[in-house]
Amino acid sequence: MTSSTGSLLSLENLGKRFGSLQALEGVSLDVRPGSVQCLLGENGAGKSTLCNLIFGVYEPTVGSMTFDGAAWAPESPAVALERGIAMVHQHFSLVPRMTVVENLMLGQVKGVLKRHEFGARIRDIAESFGFTLDPDSVVGELSVGERQRAEIVKCLMRDPKLLVLDEPTAVLPPGEIGALLDICRRVADSGRAVILVTHKLAEIAKVADRVAVLRTGRLVADESMQDADMGELVHAMVGRELKPLDVALADDGEAPAASRPLVTPPKLALVCDGLTVHDRHGAVRLDNFTLEIKPGEIVGLAGVEGNGQSELGMVLAGLLRPTEGHFFIGGNDLTHAGAAAVTAAGGGIVPEDRHAVACVTAMSVAENMFLNKLDRFTRFGLLQRRTLNAAAQMQMREFDVRAASPEVAFSGLSGGNQQKAVLARELTLDPLVALVAAQPTRGLDVSAVEAVYRQIRAAARRGVGVLLISSELDELIAVADRITVLYRGRLVGERPAEMSERGAIGALMSGQVA
Amino acid sequence: MTALAFSLPDRRRLLGMAVPFIAVIGSMIVGLLLIAASGKDVPDAIEAFMDGAFGSAFAIGASINRAVALSLVGLGFILAFRANLTNVGGEGQIAVGGIAATALGLWPPIANLPLGLAVIVPLLGGTLAGAFWGGIAGFMKVRFGTNEVISTLLLGFVALLLVYWCVQSTALLRQPQTSSATLPESLPIADAVKLPGLTGNSESPLHIGLVICLLLAIATAIVLQRSTFGLRLRAIGLNELAVRRAGMPGGILLVVALAIAGAFGGLAGAIMLQGEQYYLKTGFSSGYGFDGLVVGLLSRGSTVGVLAGALFFGFLRSGGISMEIMAQVPAALTLVIQGLIVIAVAGSVILVEKLQGGR
Amino acid sequence: MEEMLAIFIASTLRLAMPLMLAASGELVSERAGVLNLSLEGMMLTAAFFGALGSWASGNPYLGVACAILASVVVSAVQAWLSVNLRANQLVVGIGFNILALGATTLLYRIIFGGLSREEIPGLPKLAVKGLSDLPFAGTAFFQQSVIVYVGLALIVLIWAMLNHTSFGLSVRAVGDEPRSADKAGIPVAATRWKAVLITGFMAGFAGAFISIADIHTFTENMTNGAGYLALAAVIFGGWNIGRTVAACLLFGAATALQFQLPAMGINVPTAFLLMLPYLLALLAVAGVVGRLEPPTSLTLPFQRGK
Repeated sequence: MTSSTGSLLSLENLGKRFGSLQALEGVSLDVRPGSVQCLLGENGAGKSTLCNLIFGVYEPTVGSMTFDGAAWAPESPAVALERGIAMVHQHFSLVPRMTVVENLMLGQVKGVLKRHEFGARIRDIAESFGFTLDPDSVVGELSVGERQRAEIVKCLMRDPKLLVLDEPTAVLPPGEIGALLDICRRVADSGRAVILVTHKLAEIAKVADRVAVLRTGRLVADESMQDADMGELVHAMVGRELKPLDVALADDGEAPAASRPLVTPPKLALVCDGLTVHDRHGAVRLDNFTLEIKPGEIVGLAGVEGNGQSELGMVLAGLLRPTEGHFFIGGNDLTHAGAAAVTAAGGGIVPEDRHAVACVTAMSVAENMFLNKLDRFTRFGLLQRRTLNAAAQMQMREFDVRAASPEVAFSGLSGGNQQKAVLARELTLDPLVALVAAQPTRGLDVSAVEAVYRQIRAAARRGVGVLLISSELDELIAVADRITVLYRGRLVGERPAEMSERGAIGALMSGQVA
Repeated sequence: MTALAFSLPDRRRLLGMAVPFIAVIGSMIVGLLLIAASGKDVPDAIEAFMDGAFGSAFAIGASINRAVALSLVGLGFILAFRANLTNVGGEGQIAVGGIAATALGLWPPIANLPLGLAVIVPLLGGTLAGAFWGGIAGFMKVRFGTNEVISTLLLGFVALLLVYWCVQSTALLRQPQTSSATLPESLPIADAVKLPGLTGNSESPLHIGLVICLLLAIATAIVLQRSTFGLRLRAIGLNELAVRRAGMPGGILLVVALAIAGAFGGLAGAIMLQGEQYYLKTGFSSGYGFDGLVVGLLSRGSTVGVLAGALFFGFLRSGGISMEIMAQVPAALTLVIQGLIVIAVAGSVILVEKLQGGR
Repeated sequence: MEEMLAIFIASTLRLAMPLMLAASGELVSERAGVLNLSLEGMMLTAAFFGALGSWASGNPYLGVACAILASVVVSAVQAWLSVNLRANQLVVGIGFNILALGATTLLYRIIFGGLSREEIPGLPKLAVKGLSDLPFAGTAFFQQSVIVYVGLALIVLIWAMLNHTSFGLSVRAVGDEPRSADKAGIPVAATRWKAVLITGFMAGFAGAFISIADIHTFTENMTNGAGYLALAAVIFGGWNIGRTVAACLLFGAATALQFQLPAMGINVPTAFLLMLPYLLALLAVAGVVGRLEPPTSLTLPFQRGK
């Protein structure tokens, strides 16, 4: 693991700490010129932190780097650019209302603009890496892939030695991924080094020379692509340590799913029928998604992030209209009915983005816990605060939401307590027919995770149909009755929720059709 | 240690309240310096100012009547602002309120209504017209995503020109043209339509607008602090997506918020017309909409703040006019003071935040 | 008929001129993300100080210089408040308009006293040789005060600057995506400052046109909403300079028609013609006449890392 003579960039025992959070720890890695180094890992595994250290956005807490034969400690991205490291960020830094050539000239030229000359250079560079790019098209009208190519050209114009791409495939519709990987290959073939950050497994096989896997800030695998086994990589990436906790949780003394005493309302809890979502650029994000969930059933939806889960969550929350298809909760067609109707029909929603969608952080805990039931506490238009706070207090006890009082600001709660409060709100809907929980345990500590699982299971026992969307395979195995897998917006398979199926499910998640 | 921890929030509130005060006092000092610089006698000017603002029953009544109009616009402003909507169309909302009140007040069947309905119906008409005018901006925001600042501003100009149109055309509200000297104004409204006085003292112009205003101020305070509707306004101002997710009709809330702001402006227009001016003429809103907006902003969302600010500006205006007449100090001085206050308060927002967050 | 047309064209140009100057300046600032509701106040300040300078020095060109200087000072304060202090641009703008109306009225009363309508030295009209003798449109187009020719040249310059220089590129970038611009090494605050100062400069010209070139005196509140009309023109012009200038001409024509139509025996309410610009701008922002998008970050202050 020590730096070898042939490497362009080498990292030695690199660590980064943000306050109490250890984002990276003991990472050592060598990147060789002319190679594509893939960096795998889930959200929050530390991939972006690592890139930002290399690119000079942050300084490492411990460890050292060498680049191009000298010690490397860039104080800013500008220095990194100057010295030959360019980075394509996940969020493009292009101005949508300007043309490609204008964007690329921004900050690079002085005085009168010579669009033609500069445009010709753009064309040349694009062509030399085997793709085309129209310099005069307006960025806002380009597809995501084309925008990304513009970003790449912007980097290549500076003739970098190392090109870092942070999650470049996350934003791409499936059809455009191949082209991007070809470009990566060509850039590497021109003698440059490429670091490709991704959590999509199937793609890396085509392009990577080496692959490293980060999990919770540590490097858990670093091998050459020829030696790598896909199943093991998935495991290295998503597999938490097999804690006895999970197994225990999977069977916390309750009857197994099949023999659960169903409350058996005659209708299915949740039905998705051919849901299809196209984004602004016409790319398919969710493709003919069809699923039926019976009352009392917990269906897990596995998949690496960015494969259509967010879109599905927004559709089922009533906040996004699908391009095609329908969905029903308790037999009611709610496709075009909006969020209020979803709530009224008994659809409990625990959204993926808690802060943006689930709560108003500046308001009190009590207000947030009853945000959808305020009418219940209203007399003659006035809010009965005392009753509201008392009810909140009770529910906080029931759902173990820990806060000094129901009147403190929601933002003052820990992530776990916030999530428990949101869950409490959605689970106490009357009636509650179906629960859609998207990544409900992300960023929570172990005890909070356990509490969330317990509540979800209890709801299912009461006859609620649950759709659990998660990228954590172990979570799904522990909680769900069966697991379906979403890949590139489509359902690609279904397996029983059993430990022995992890390999098969992992393969489905990585795009290897079982 | 604990004492410090407890005193912190209070210090922050104090700081927030101190800014308008400092701005007001600083601007007044600038005003006095300007008077001195223009070679006028400062004590004379102050005496004239005090006389015009507080000197007589008439002066006090007129000042309070001004404050009533400003308060109403300010109250509407803070209601919409609770939903994070900035209504800069108060001037236009006053104008349409005035038009509606005039039209209804001049219509004999209404002017002859018994039981005070002759007063009430035009007031309600003005209120509804204002609500409609504000509601347009709300509708445009929800339907087309138009920034309410731009739409309320433009609607304001349209409304001012509507007044002009109404008093230019005999087919609309202009008084019958008997000679070329007939002014472009409406006929005066009948006595039955005028707002009743409050004091019984014929010297004082004070009318029941004050009572209406105070009742509405109390209602506003209750709505903002105690009502579910107020909470919903706050929620949508903070996070529209979460509010929609929680099943509240987000779009309707926004339209209603701007319609209420407009309604307050429209009522202010009707009260100005039925309480003091009695006939419609071009420019009858005379800047009360913009001043009311300023009052709303300075209040930092507090109902009491609106009333205090409105009283201050009401007396400032009255005193300014008297200063011009009695001490030859142009009334425009009050505009200078007002402008300085607005700029100072707006400019200090970040400064205050820094100090409040200061360690 | 021909004579009427000539008068109509001439008065359209005369009424549109200050709008064109102010709107094209404001356009630069708005493209950079700063909305100056204070445009009206800048113009009024310029009109007053232009008149004052011209009257005191006896030299109208010095007057124009005073007008521009005064307006640029106002715009500098506006820039400081909007860019550095991140104040609410709308509120600050309204404050400036109240202040400008008060201050100019006050100073006018103090300096000129009462209601004197003292004539000030104005700018001469400059005839373009050969062209000004053209039948009926000659006087309208080619016998104008110097300021008109300079102003038109400045508008062309602004067009070239916005579309064909790196500064123009920076202006558009900081108005749309300041974060991206910042990443590309564009100094966001400095670019916005310069843009607001350009607005002040052009508003100064516009104000000087009104008091020195057109009316030859100062009257209280003499801009009478021209600043707001210029703002409406920028909106109706869809933040595009060509269309903004066209919008100004249209607004000028609508105002000019109020004198022309009655003379031609056509009865259209004056109020409606005056209202037309605002109605058109309203329709424009509602997206009824083609979808117009303001610069993405208009009125939004920028702070790195937020």
